[in-house]
Amino acid sequence: MANRWGYRDLGFGIGLRSVHFQHILEKQPPIDWFEVLSENYMDTGGRPLHVLDQVAERYPLVLHGVSLSVGSKDPVNLEYLKKLKSLAARVKANWVSDHLCWCGITGLNTHDLLPMPYTTEALRHTIERVKIIQDVLERPIALENASTYLEFAASTWPESEFLAALAEEADCGILLDVNNVYVSSYNHGFDPKAYIDRIPRDRVVQMHLAGHTNKGTHIIDTHNDYVIDSVWELYKYAHRRLGGVATLLEWDANIPSFTIVHGEALKARKLREQEDLSGVTATPELDEVPAYGD
Amino acid sequence: MATNPGLEKIQRWMQACILNQGTAEEAIASDAAQAAIPADQARDVVLPSKTLSSLERLDVYRDMYLLRMEEALSIDYPSLKHFLGENEFMRLVARYVDVYPSRSYTLNRLGDHLCEFIATLDDMPRKDFCLDLACLEYALTWVFDAGETPPMTTEQVKAVPPDAWEHARLKPVEAFRLLAFEYPVSRYAGAVDEENPFPRIARKKTWVVAYRANYNLHRMDLTQPAYELLSALAAGKTMGEAIESVMIRKWRPAVKEAHLFEWFRDWMAEGFFQSVELGVTTAV
Repeated sequence: MANRWGYRDLGFGIGLRSVHFQHILEKQPPIDWFEVLSENYMDTGGRPLHVLDQVAERYPLVLHGVSLSVGSKDPVNLEYLKKLKSLAARVKANWVSDHLCWCGITGLNTHDLLPMPYTTEALRHTIERVKIIQDVLERPIALENASTYLEFAASTWPESEFLAALAEEADCGILLDVNNVYVSSYNHGFDPKAYIDRIPRDRVVQMHLAGHTNKGTHIIDTHNDYVIDSVWELYKYAHRRLGGVATLLEWDANIPSFTIVHGEALKARKLREQEDLSGVTATPELDEVPAYGD
Repeated sequence: MATNPGLEKIQRWMQACILNQGTAEEAIASDAAQAAIPADQARDVVLPSKTLSSLERLDVYRDMYLLRMEEALSIDYPSLKHFLGENEFMRLVARYVDVYPSRSYTLNRLGDHLCEFIATLDDMPRKDFCLDLACLEYALTWVFDAGETPPMTTEQVKAVPPDAWEHARLKPVEAFRLLAFEYPVSRYAGAVDEENPFPRIARKKTWVVAYRANYNLHRMDLTQPAYELLSALAAGKTMGEAIESVMIRKWRPAVKEAHLFEWFRDWMAEGFFQSVELGVTTAV
């Protein structure tokens, strides 16, 4: 099922990483698309931007940021948005995404994706900020469910319902990170399939897959390894639920060769093709997403 | 007990706890954290899981913070990290971000104040050497990210009438930095390898130009006269003024015309200059 904006299913992509620059420019591999870390290209006039321009000529790109800090109580950073908008236009980004999180307050940046308390106050605040951000960017953004390692006692919403309500009220998209659903479900003890069931199908524009590090007592979203079987199973479930959605394989640390990373992304294609051939139908549409006033 | 102190207090509290470099108990008891949420209520803010207490869950974020800062700075200051070693470099990072936490949306700017911070330290081993090394590596990050300006072509140089050079002003490309050091840090950074992991260090004034050509970073060692000549040109002096003040008044007879010819030939070949202004109004 297509998303409500008509963003096409780009297929199976990987992150654009500097260690792969030479391979990409020389070999021009047959990869569907790349995801670009926005902040790496917003303040440089050097080689990374030069390579990005060349990659953008040949491959579909999306921008994915980590500093939008959409849930912070700090004012919206208009200077950041101006640069992001300029970059998106430069590379003709298919869409722009970031995370449902906050990164800092009082002008500081921890450079982490810090968890939100899922309260009505936080939801109302974040809805307004997303609307401002989208007005400035003149396009909808997609927000990713980040891996989280703690929960606040103040929370009155399940994360999935908070995200769904935010997307509906702010009219934004969702980047469903399947690995993050798994990681957070492990850390907090919720049912990952029930989480996916609450995500409005027509708002999902992209999915992420990644490896992680299991510490026993908790899992950290490290993006430094292959995707584990349980996450592949969850991806199959998400595909059955949501249909064909652009899928990205994240590998950001201990990065192996382009071929290995791309190969991991292509596993997702194979799984999806197997699911489609098996003729498994999508689950019935669930009840309406609760509005935040409920 | 206030389990919902409000979004802003939660964020101020959590950030204060993350930035605090003590234990979790010390963090929640810090002035910054207690300004948002009193310590006796802190453990009620975060729910425990089946496997971790509330403070242990908070520690997951606290532990990652310094590691992330160290990782970012080690990318920009690899030679400094190599010289100091992992433990001492991490100690420097911890002290540095305590004074200069990030205020930018990009980690690329995290090290902007590292040189000035090192200059304030009283207990740093080989401080002057480390300061020079840090300043070199900071300059390299700056040059790496500078805007791209195409260098002058051979044809553009040849187009300048010979008698116009005296009053011409050469403008360096944007990705260009002139550096003066008390130590030969550029040579040190280039000399470190597996067979020579810790080259000998001796104080000796050196001069370097860091620049970018074809999007690749380069360093060129300079003599002091060459450095002063380039500095005069970069400051906007005409060729005649630069040569007279640096060469004729100061360095004659040590530096001869042949040196000048070689320097300009090499500098043009490396693409140091983006344009030349002839007289007052005409640019080539």
